Amino acid sequence: MSFYRYRQKTWLIGAMLLIAEPAFATQAHSAPEGLYAHQLAHIFFIISMGVLIYWLRARQLVQSSGWRYIQYAALFFILWNLDAFTVHLLEEQLAVIDIHRINLWQINITANNHSNALLWLYYFAKFDHLLCVPALLFLYFGLRRLLKKTETSTSGLVSS
Amino acid sequence: MIISFLPIWIVDMIGSILMIVFSFLCLSLVRRLRNRDQGNVIWTYLFWVCLGLAAFAISRSAGHILKQILVLSGHEAVWSSIRPFSGAINSLMFVFVASVTLFFERIWKIYRQISKDKQALETVSDELRFLNQNLENLVAERTQELASSEHKYRRIFEVSRDMILVTQPDGTIINLNPAGCKLLGYKEPAPSVSSSDNSFADFFVKASDWRRIRKTIEQQSFISNAEVSLKDTDGKQIRVLVSGSLDKGFSDRDATIHFLVKDIEQRRIIEEQIAQADKLASIGQLSAGIAHEINNPLGIILGYTQLLIRNEKSNSEKFDDLKTIEKHVRNCKSIVEDLLNFARSSKPNEDVIRLEEAMEDVLHFIQQHAGLDNISVEKNYESAVPEMRLDEKKIKQVFMNLIMNAKHAIGKGGNLAISTGYSPDEGNVVVKISDSGHGIEKKNLARIFDPFFTTKPTGEGTGLGLSVSYGIIKNHGGDILVESEIGKGTTFIIVLPLVSPHSRPKHAKINSYN
Repeated sequence: MSFYRYRQKTWLIGAMLLIAEPAFATQAHSAPEGLYAHQLAHIFFIISMGVLIYWLRARQLVQSSGWRYIQYAALFFILWNLDAFTVHLLEEQLAVIDIHRINLWQINITANNHSNALLWLYYFAKFDHLLCVPALLFLYFGLRRLLKKTETSTSGLVSS
Repeated sequence: MIISFLPIWIVDMIGSILMIVFSFLCLSLVRRLRNRDQGNVIWTYLFWVCLGLAAFAISRSAGHILKQILVLSGHEAVWSSIRPFSGAINSLMFVFVASVTLFFERIWKIYRQISKDKQALETVSDELRFLNQNLENLVAERTQELASSEHKYRRIFEVSRDMILVTQPDGTIINLNPAGCKLLGYKEPAPSVSSSDNSFADFFVKASDWRRIRKTIEQQSFISNAEVSLKDTDGKQIRVLVSGSLDKGFSDRDATIHFLVKDIEQRRIIEEQIAQADKLASIGQLSAGIAHEINNPLGIILGYTQLLIRNEKSNSEKFDDLKTIEKHVRNCKSIVEDLLNFARSSKPNEDVIRLEEAMEDVLHFIQQHAGLDNISVEKNYESAVPEMRLDEKKIKQVFMNLIMNAKHAIGKGGNLAISTGYSPDEGNVVVKISDSGHGIEKKNLARIFDPFFTTKPTGEGTGLGLSVSYGIIKNHGGDILVESEIGKGTTFIIVLPLVSPHSRPKHAKINSYN
């Protein structure tokens, strides 16, 4: 009984493949898609770090100095992602900021809406390493504390 | 707005280098953490996070540094060709780090579970190690404790003065302690479960008592102090208090009933004796009151009758009538005297006598007046019995009453055994008068000391002999007891406190005998 049923389905699929017109099934990816993927990756990173902070606090792991530092690292990563997201948004996605290199050490930044605040926001946002480096620094401190804890006790995960 | 690019360039370059440095430092730390405890999934998790961050730091920082170098060296076109790869790798690294990070909660739960299991395993492992190392000692220790406990409870079972009995729910005896064997008349060893014909139910005088006890235990799982009568293997009845509880065991097949049976026969006999003594005391008080009231008018009647007799001729009809009145008044006075003796209203005289001499006098008197020819008299006087301070006349009256009763009970032929005994420890002297007569029926035993109770035909006895004897002995601070078996005879036991001739009379402890 089941043999006949499967045989019928196989014939049906075969017929569809033979009869079908040629189709452009593979979608083309133009330039903005890479930018959008990159921006979505930033958002995903922000969410992921937010979730990490939530669980660290929910499990009361932040009572331990090691995990507390890791929490700060996650917080700085969120800030860095927001910063980077903003720069990408202003410069590439919305294209409201235009940059021209005048010479080796000078640049000309112009805003489409002539907003000085936007120019300064963009300029300071370019210093994104001031956020991502502290994030890694906090991560380093956190791990060092955890290592010290494990050296003094059997488990340094929770105890403060 | 024209602005310097240098600050951005410096921060970008230094920041990129620092990112690589710190990300690898983090990776190094987390590797050390993981090496310390390789089974810890949290360290593994952090290792992967740091690995992702290090990869991200390399891809991003290398891209930034390369960009700055290429732009500054005028090779922007080269950077433009590399840029998409750098951006794509950065995006992938974001996603990788973010994805790994999202697993934190799940990893944490696994870690907690593993920690818990590990702790449990370690505990079990420690216990097992301890058990392995100390197994022999522990076994020896536990065996010793078990043996000690078993011995303790075995001793309780064996030395208990009360009967301890273990039965199956249907009453089949499983185990019976020595006290139980003695009570039920078994010869040790106690019946075991192998002899399944031994059932506790068979020892109940009334089968309904056993059914009631069993029903109560079935309903309540226990019974407390149920008073029942048991019969031993010889048929002798014993009053007991039965307490029992059901031990359900591991299964219904293992269920047993544990009984504790307390023999209260002695206690009941003593209670009955006390009740009897109380009854006789009450009757004595009543008799004393009546006797006092009757004694005076009888004295007046007797006095006036004797006065009238003095004035009458000895052969006249009136003289005979008055003599008849005098005789019956004297009889009445005699009865009243007996009643007063029974009621112990009169103080006994204090004569120094020897009991065997008093007994010999009585025997001689009876031999002379009533005859003891067809009776074999066996005398066993203990020489250690000392002289005693007693009312000789009344004690002889007691002996007289008891021997005459024995003679009457023996009838045409039999034995009369008289013995005396002295117990310095108890401080008393015991006189036993036994006959081989027909014995006293059990129903009459409780009444033989009642005034006017007699089994003799009307006119042959007043029923005051034993009650008067009882009163006299009690008046001396002693006790009178009786043992009797139908067809075998009766023994009267007189227990008199030893009162030295040189000391003031006092009441001694009165013992109880069967």
